[in-house]
Amino acid sequence: MNAFFNGEIFKDSLWLLVKTLPTVFEVLVLGLICAWAWGLALSLIRLSRFRALRYLAGAYIDLFRGLPLLLLFIFIYYGLPHAGLKLNALSSGVLGIALCYGAYSAEIFRAGIQAIAKGQTEAARSLGMTHGQAMRYVILPQAVKLVVPPLTNELIAMIKDTSLMSVIAVPELLFRAKEKMGVVANSTPLTVAALIYIVFTIPLIRVAARMESKRRKRRPGGKPPAGITPEAGIADAQLYDADIAAQLPKGGYG
Amino acid sequence: MTSMIELIDVHKSFDSLEVLKGVNLTVVKKEVVVVIGPSGSGKSTMLRCINGLEPILKGKVIIEGEDLHGPHTDPNRIRQRIGMVFQSFNLFPHKDALHNVMMAPLKVQKKPKAEAEQIAREQLCQVGLAEKMHAYPDELSGGQQQRVAIARALAMKPDMMLFDEVTSALDPELVAEVLGVMQGLAESGMTMVVVTHEMGFAREVGTRLIFMDGGVIVEEGDPREMIPNPKEPRTQKFLSMVL
Repeated sequence: MNAFFNGEIFKDSLWLLVKTLPTVFEVLVLGLICAWAWGLALSLIRLSRFRALRYLAGAYIDLFRGLPLLLLFIFIYYGLPHAGLKLNALSSGVLGIALCYGAYSAEIFRAGIQAIAKGQTEAARSLGMTHGQAMRYVILPQAVKLVVPPLTNELIAMIKDTSLMSVIAVPELLFRAKEKMGVVANSTPLTVAALIYIVFTIPLIRVAARMESKRRKRRPGGKPPAGITPEAGIADAQLYDADIAAQLPKGGYG
Repeated sequence: MTSMIELIDVHKSFDSLEVLKGVNLTVVKKEVVVVIGPSGSGKSTMLRCINGLEPILKGKVIIEGEDLHGPHTDPNRIRQRIGMVFQSFNLFPHKDALHNVMMAPLKVQKKPKAEAEQIAREQLCQVGLAEKMHAYPDELSGGQQQRVAIARALAMKPDMMLFDEVTSALDPELVAEVLGVMQGLAESGMTMVVVTHEMGFAREVGTRLIFMDGGVIVEEGDPREMIPNPKEPRTQKFLSMVL
């Protein structure tokens, strides 16, 4: 027990590890903004009418969903300098997260956009809106609401994946915990790190779960507005709910 | 007589399935053309080709003298003059009735906000929904939603209106309120193409009846003559089933 939970070391490492949080948050916030912006851009390209661009975006998404993030970090931090491109540890972390999670986010945004009924685009276009106007004023405002739960899940994965940056010497939680472990020859710092991760991830897990169950309750199960026949209203909602579920990437992110 | 819509030998396929096999149609100003036919006959597809929601394989679509697929034509500009109402309403669920109606004048025609709102209020009053300006689509009945959809299309002050089975998704008791709005619109002189199964509407409001089957126009004529005395056997068979 003492090997994992030593009171003295616990106090010591708690402060040490909490001090790394600003770094973790910095990478996380920058990475998040870059990944979501890049993902949204990729999804719009993937759904555009230019075949070559569509194909390129699709290839990018497949490639970066297929690569381990750890490999990406190592490639950026240790590999790119051989080509003359030297990034510091923090920038390498942000870039790795943006490249990898951009691909996942793109799939989430695409599923969200495609889950909006085709009739919405048609109604918008029939009013004379361009493709861009229809996206901006009609499709995206609705799609954003749909993608909040999956993006929250993605954020959870991202928080955990910041630990991978310990291999490129970003002074984050796991990196410092491992250092400390070596010094004190005891596993308590790791326990502390685990607790800190959990403090952030579990509330988010609960939030995401609540949003998902709320959505399930509200959409197909709710009382249909008077006058819509089941075929037109309810079946649609169920169809699109199933649609978005089917299109979302399955499994873990790391 | 000005021709508003001209379809010349329009062909349309979905993959290998040929849905329109050479449709020719001319609609002049103030006409109310009612299109009937069995499901799969291509009537909805024809309607959607008129405003270019469906690309065509062959032929020409000419709107008020302009070729919709011409090399220098901006289809978005032409669509502003063609209002369309759908079977499934397709209201924007994230906006209330007022903002559904004012969105296109505001964003497409770039009208000032106050003017767009004024137009939207007038149009909603016109369809009898003055009380429901701030209701969201899911708070409205099907009939009310469809009337908002009509107001939304009319807010662009279109030269013509297309109606795609707009009462088919409604409970029977809600059909009349929507048909009433359409009848009023026809009486005010709007050029209309109406795909429907409502034979009463065809008889009373239609100025021309078109029967489609197998991707072509089989028969057309004055609805008051054609409904009681169809000439083509296929029209006879269809009418005997729906009447």
